[in-house]
Amino acid sequence: MRLSRDARNYLVYGIALFVVLEALLAAAIFWWPSFEENTGALKLLAAPIPMLAEQLNLIDAVGVPAYVVAQHFFKGCNTLGATAAVLLAMHAVAGEAQRGTMELWLSRPISRRRLFTERYLGGLAAVVLPVFLTTFTIPMLLGLVDETMGLGNLTLCALHQSLFLAALYSATMWLSAMGSQPLKIGFAMLFLCIAEFAMYMVATLTDYSVFRWVDISSYAEILSAQSLNGPRTATLVAVNVLAYVGGVRALERRVP
Amino acid sequence: MTPAAPPTTHTAGSILTSGLRRSFGDKQALKGIDLEIGPGGITGLLGPNGSGKSTFMRCITGLIRPDGGWARVDGLDVRGDGCDVRARLTYSPGELHLYGEMRADEHLRWLLRGRPAQACTRAFELAEQFDLPLAHKVSGYSHGMKRQLCFAAAMAPQVRLRILDEITDGLDPSRRGQVLEALREDADNGTTLLLSSHHLGEVDRACDRMVFLNEGQIIADESPASVLERTSKLVHLTYTESLTPQQLAQLEGPHTDRIQPSLSTNSKRVSVWIRDTDPRAFLAFLAEQPDLPSPRRIEYGSLSLSQMYTDIYGVRGI
Repeated sequence: MRLSRDARNYLVYGIALFVVLEALLAAAIFWWPSFEENTGALKLLAAPIPMLAEQLNLIDAVGVPAYVVAQHFFKGCNTLGATAAVLLAMHAVAGEAQRGTMELWLSRPISRRRLFTERYLGGLAAVVLPVFLTTFTIPMLLGLVDETMGLGNLTLCALHQSLFLAALYSATMWLSAMGSQPLKIGFAMLFLCIAEFAMYMVATLTDYSVFRWVDISSYAEILSAQSLNGPRTATLVAVNVLAYVGGVRALERRVP
Repeated sequence: MTPAAPPTTHTAGSILTSGLRRSFGDKQALKGIDLEIGPGGITGLLGPNGSGKSTFMRCITGLIRPDGGWARVDGLDVRGDGCDVRARLTYSPGELHLYGEMRADEHLRWLLRGRPAQACTRAFELAEQFDLPLAHKVSGYSHGMKRQLCFAAAMAPQVRLRILDEITDGLDPSRRGQVLEALREDADNGTTLLLSSHHLGEVDRACDRMVFLNEGQIIADESPASVLERTSKLVHLTYTESLTPQQLAQLEGPHTDRIQPSLSTNSKRVSVWIRDTDPRAFLAFLAEQPDLPSPRRIEYGSLSLSQMYTDIYGVRGI
């Protein structure tokens, strides 16, 4: 079976994201014993930055589960996953307009809703599947440093992280369906992410940052409750649905 | 005026539009097009750049939603994103941007997605007739080769309607002839073809009907025979030196309707509209004028689209 051009692209992106996330995760887990020994010194180093100190205190209190979610979800997925989500989505429709292939893409007897949905799902899979697949390797990697974590809880964390990345991806897809300059869209979304993260690091603004929803304390809540936070999950799902519908509508009305 | 409601009769292979309007910002690209095309035959849609040809084609294929009026194509109203309509026709866009990173065979399959499998087989046959290297990447293709690849994709599916925007653009004369022959053969098999072009000479050979657009309106709807008759009353004379006003005046005579020196070549080229379709009497009169130099070139029977617009339809600024 020959893969379509889009499917090949998504597969390559997905594999690349998986490899990088897995490498970071493996390195972080192998470093855990050393981290555990030096937590006190690290807390002293982080003391001038209250938000960082708070995260370290949480890891110190909770132990390896907080460390793992900090390394994998808060650090790895929030940075690389968010970047991958923006990079994949920004070209989806706007890229066609920029290279002049929009009319050709739309002129086949395939509905615009279907064209958008295929790209939406393909890109989404390339972002979300690596998050789940790398998460599923955590118990095995932890076993190498004599630690354990339940796969059920980790799956809930991966689901929450995926909904967050999907929201970012869907919003970028919506912008892509309306725009013609993928680089501008990408820069705008990445700038927004950086600005949000900067807000997160400021103690007085941290509660206004979207990264508050995917930080160590959020994952600690999920791990202790062994369930997703209902209102947050519903909000993330709503953002995804809204952005998807907005993207479809924008493409349906678009002049090639 | 509100356009009439679409007729309820199903006319396979035809295009019907009424009051079709579309604006882009302040610019009115289509100002209420009423047109009935087919079933069958080759209709040429002619006009200068920006006259509304491509917008009209995009409206009837559902790629652009009209602001007003309606279009019915192959018995179906054009609605929504036009997917249903596009399944009943083939459309080849005028602007030629392909995916350079794809191989040509892969691109053909991509272009024919949503069509029956036989369409791919037929497209490969057509591409081979054009000697296109299908195993090569499209980035290595010339403009003309890309156009032929699109033509193969547009001609392959068995449909009753084909809408081809600037389909001969960028082709060399022999390939152009091959394409026009294929179109004639397709029309002879009962397919309705709508072609657009801004070159008069190439479509008048192939078309059964010519619709002239300007600034979003139909300004003429003629048969090639009537265009040919107009063409046969025009003689172009090119001199080595510009003619003086006195020499130009000598061209006026019993066989001349009007003369028009070309402004761009400083009167070295003069278009003469003669009264009869036979130029021999005029040429004999020309030879008898003692003060007129011998023309370097005499052209007869050719008419450019801009001459058609400016000299016949009185449209300026073409």
